[in-house]
Amino acid sequence: MKEVIVQPEKCVGCMQCMVACATAHSQTKQLYTAILETPLPKPRIHVGAGVFNEGFPNRCRHCDPAPCMQACLGGAIFRDTATGTVLIDPDRCINCASCAMACPYGVIRFHEDCVAPPGKVVAVKCDNCDQRQSQGVVPACVEVCKTGALIFDEMTDAMKEKTNAVARSVSSGAETYPVSPVFALFKASKKAQLAVQ
Amino acid sequence: MKYSIIGNGIAGVCAAETIRQLDRAAEITLIGDETFPPYSRPMISHVLDGSLSSEKLPIRSSRFYDDLKIIPVLGSRVSAIDVDRRVLTTTDRKETTYDKLLIATGADARPVVAKGVDLKNIFYMRTEAHIRSIIECLPTAETALVLGGGLVGFKAAHGLLKRGLKVTMLITSGYPLSMQVDETAGQMILAELLKSGLTVRVGTSVMAFEGKGKVKRARLSDDSTLSCDMVIVGKGVSPSLAFVPKEKIKIDHGILVDHHLQTTIPDVFAAGDVAEAVDITRKRRWINAIWPEAAAQGCVAGANMAGRHVVYPGSVSRNVMRVMALDVMTLGLVNPPDDFGYKVMAHADRRRGRYRKLVFRDNVLVGAMLINDIDQGGILLSLIQNEIPLKIPDRVLMDPSFNFGKLIA
Ligand SMILES: Cc1cc2nc3c(=O)[nH]c(=O)nc-3n(C[C@H](O)[C@H](O)[C@H](O)COP(=O)(O)OP(=O)(O)OC[C@H]3O[C@@H](n4cnc5c(N)ncnc54)[C@H](O)[C@@H]3O)c2cc1C
Ligand code: SF4
Ligand code: SF4
Repeated sequence: MKEVIVQPEKCVGCMQCMVACATAHSQTKQLYTAILETPLPKPRIHVGAGVFNEGFPNRCRHCDPAPCMQACLGGAIFRDTATGTVLIDPDRCINCASCAMACPYGVIRFHEDCVAPPGKVVAVKCDNCDQRQSQGVVPACVEVCKTGALIFDEMTDAMKEKTNAVARSVSSGAETYPVSPVFALFKASKKAQLAVQ
Repeated sequence: MKYSIIGNGIAGVCAAETIRQLDRAAEITLIGDETFPPYSRPMISHVLDGSLSSEKLPIRSSRFYDDLKIIPVLGSRVSAIDVDRRVLTTTDRKETTYDKLLIATGADARPVVAKGVDLKNIFYMRTEAHIRSIIECLPTAETALVLGGGLVGFKAAHGLLKRGLKVTMLITSGYPLSMQVDETAGQMILAELLKSGLTVRVGTSVMAFEGKGKVKRARLSDDSTLSCDMVIVGKGVSPSLAFVPKEKIKIDHGILVDHHLQTTIPDVFAAGDVAEAVDITRKRRWINAIWPEAAAQGCVAGANMAGRHVVYPGSVSRNVMRVMALDVMTLGLVNPPDDFGYKVMAHADRRRGRYRKLVFRDNVLVGAMLINDIDQGGILLSLIQNEIPLKIPDRVLMDPSFNFGKLIA
């Protein structure tokens, strides 16, 4: 089964994924109208500033076992056994934040949402775009990521690709870099910026 | 293999699920005092404040016992365990044999010590049944007294306030949540409570309740009296273990367990609020009577009972609560002992209602307290639980914009 795989070393911090995610979880699914909706759609992927202020795309890992699920006081968090996706039922959620205290990645946010009862603040996180996927469309964040920081692939294939890249880079006469040199340059400039400040 | 589990709280339920997952042929008997389907104990406060009906309390389907082929023995209390014969006796004198036993009987509300506690309309708040009797009393009450400034006291006071009662909260210590927070945070929380219309009296306790049959007044430690139509007691909990043979199964405050959650008797395990395991940050035996630890312990105990070797690393005290406009999260050692060896970083921004405090021991995070900006608290908990030596400057963790990316260079 394909899943969203994050390669943070390729993130340039453009936050396109956040915009696409919020739009995909809006009522109208169109950016121009989504920004006029109440409640305002919010992203479930969060690009934070990393060590050198470079971008770091952070989303739910759909852990198994999932600490958030074990900690949920409302019995609102469950796993869709077919896809392995960890989901939150907004009707059952009591906004207690026990899940936020349990999530080791800090990916849960609390706000109103168009699929929750009106006016109710609930816990919200990545749902693997289950709606889009059921229509055969890739998750919104992957669709807009231009640098390959977010890809939609079989985990085994992605790992093989990574292993090959590492092998190429350490074998004698290596010509290709595991990651395009552009990313290294980008990180170096971020580091330099930080040093200047 | 015959498994018996005493207690159908979250620890017992998680254990039963884990055993069933690992042992399809197991015979699992679950003996529980409460007849209500497995439910969320913390959610009873939402029934009190009227935001939920009690039908919403169950956290497992009504077919839970059937689906997992568990033999439920509900409405029945275990009164004795014979660990030599491996037999349980219930109060109706029925006997059940077992090969492996889990004690997951949780805790009971700690009784208040004062004269007149037998008067009517003095309640505890631990079970669904308690909430039902509290709600029955509401139409006849105008003023209420809540004892205890801990989590349950908070939830009780908030619920009664939302039901339109005049509520006084009585706190023995100088500020609320004194077991979990420090004075700075305690004062911020106190200010927030007062804003919400609650009357709070600190440094006071009850000496006696008075009234004819029903409670009408409370006499306080400062010799004043306070009229009240009802009282909710939230003075903490104590492990429910009256039936445990103490000459066989070792007990301190709770039932002592090793890192497989086995008691001092082989094949007898304990989990949840009744079990006393090791606290990771305090480095000593301690009971952290909280839901996530009860759930985790239930799973670990169940796995070990089913023959796996799963280690329980120990618990970390923690809580998160929303007090009106303040989100309060406390993790591990928030008030470290005065001896050297601890580094404390704290920053309060009262105007914005923010406070952030971190406690380190030898470059390992052992405690944290956050008022607002709590989204990333789970990362801090993970650092505490896994005792990970910090590789980045500690001030990075103080920044509210701290996120997982900061941990990987
Ligand atoms: C109002 C309230 C709010 C709370 N809020 C939070 C919160 O926000 N966050 C948090 O982490 N925790 C919270 N807690 C604590 C949390 O509910 C407990 O830590 C958790 O329920 C413990 O689970 P347990 O399975 O160990 O025990 P329990 O849930 O106590 O279950 C034990 C069961 O065993 C039964 N039993 C006891 N003795 C016997 C016997 N001799 N024979 C048969 N059955 C017996 C009892 O009737 C009970 O049903 C709250 C608790 C209360 C009361
Ligand atoms: S919310 Fe956090 S803990 Fe829960 S599955 Fe996602 S990453 Fe894991
Ligand atoms: S906030 Fe909602 S999803 Fe999170 S633990 Fe509480 S009830 Fe569960």
